[in-house]
Amino acid sequence: MKEFAVFWGCTIQTRFPFIEKSTRMILESFKLPYRDIDGFTCCPEKSLVNNVDHGAFVVTAARNVALVDELGYDLVSPCTGCVSNLATVRGELNANPREKAEVNGLLKEIGREFTGTASLKHLVPFFHDTVGVHAIKQKIKRDFKGMRIALHYGCHMIRPSHALRADDPLNPVKFDNLIRGLGAESLQFMTKLMCCGQGLDRIDEHDRALDFARIKLKELKAMKADALVLCCPSCFLQFDNNQFLMEKEGERFGIPIIYFTELLGLALGFSAEELGMNNHRIDCAPFLKRWEELSARPSPSKGIEEGLTGPNALG
Amino acid sequence: MLEAKLDLKLLEMCSKCGACYSICPSCVNIPGYDPRAVIKDILDGNHENWINHSSIWQCLECHFCLEMCYQHYGFESAMTAMRTIATRKGAHPPQVKRGWDMFVKTSRLGEPALPARKKLGLPEPKASGAEEFRKLYALLNEKRQQKAE
Repeated sequence: MKEFAVFWGCTIQTRFPFIEKSTRMILESFKLPYRDIDGFTCCPEKSLVNNVDHGAFVVTAARNVALVDELGYDLVSPCTGCVSNLATVRGELNANPREKAEVNGLLKEIGREFTGTASLKHLVPFFHDTVGVHAIKQKIKRDFKGMRIALHYGCHMIRPSHALRADDPLNPVKFDNLIRGLGAESLQFMTKLMCCGQGLDRIDEHDRALDFARIKLKELKAMKADALVLCCPSCFLQFDNNQFLMEKEGERFGIPIIYFTELLGLALGFSAEELGMNNHRIDCAPFLKRWEELSARPSPSKGIEEGLTGPNALG
Repeated sequence: MLEAKLDLKLLEMCSKCGACYSICPSCVNIPGYDPRAVIKDILDGNHENWINHSSIWQCLECHFCLEMCYQHYGFESAMTAMRTIATRKGAHPPQVKRGWDMFVKTSRLGEPALPARKKLGLPEPKASGAEEFRKLYALLNEKRQQKAE
């Protein structure tokens, strides 16, 4: 497997270092050749930087990609936004040789060159395509059989598809495959692909951001989902933090929000505490409790084998 | 190419379609949000009507419209262009300015949380590329200045 640099991104390192922790734990468990490299900046965040200055958006992303290009590494990130932004710029430059030359003219002056050769992948499609569901199944110690999990892909894991080529942009399957590989049921529901709405919090529209979170959480509560699993720090902020703020105001949903790396970590045998899940705003205990209860149940085949072996009863 | 652009020909086609409308999360969930009205005004020469309007910031950049669009353009392109114009005129939400200032100053949107990292047993964060980034951004602006002269 090719070595790859992990692009942690600003949000995970600033607000959710425990996500970095669980990501490192699963990467170590699978003995994947990941590297930490010097010199990354913000990806940059599209909805902020691209709106203000398209040129700054392009050169910043191109510089980040150039860092891995030069080392001959690939890039993997547990943040959907980072991968989507980097891939968007790579797509734009690879499709426009003149713009690419212009950007490289600037990069040359700081001793860099963008070639656009590195593969840029989000952690979920990376685990699906490169590690593989089969290898994961072999490695896990305990599955989630009987657990009813709602998935939230996060828009930028799959879109824009021309740049990411990660999955079907309107009917994605890879995250579902991984969750099913872990033995859980992946619930199908109306708002499954709906945008989390966290972007509204970044333009001073907090109440509307809550409206968006509420729509999905209401449906999940009605379906009695055991958890919402996702792999994007923005979406995590929206559903964990904003759900907590709504609970403080007396609106209770009780939906634990679990990062993909944490779910996989639990299946690999790490404890919730080791994975840093005690740092969530919404308590994960109901999810863990139900998982315990399920594993305490007798397996369905118990007693069947004895009943089928030995001499027959009629003599 | 390093400047934002808007393709009015594609937008003209866009104004006659609307394939993306019913999949757009903001169209479905925010009362009164309708990029078609913005596009109509842009094409009629009245884009200034929207510079101070909250609608142009309510596009979530989920790229659903881009995926639905048979021109592969999407009405997000119009909303992005309008946000850029609004920002240049100072009509942006306050948070945008705060985020931008932090970005150009530090090259990031926040610094690694060191005490929490230590508690979790995480390694020291790698060196940031802030200095190189600032050089690059200055070069970009220099080049723009030269072009303008």
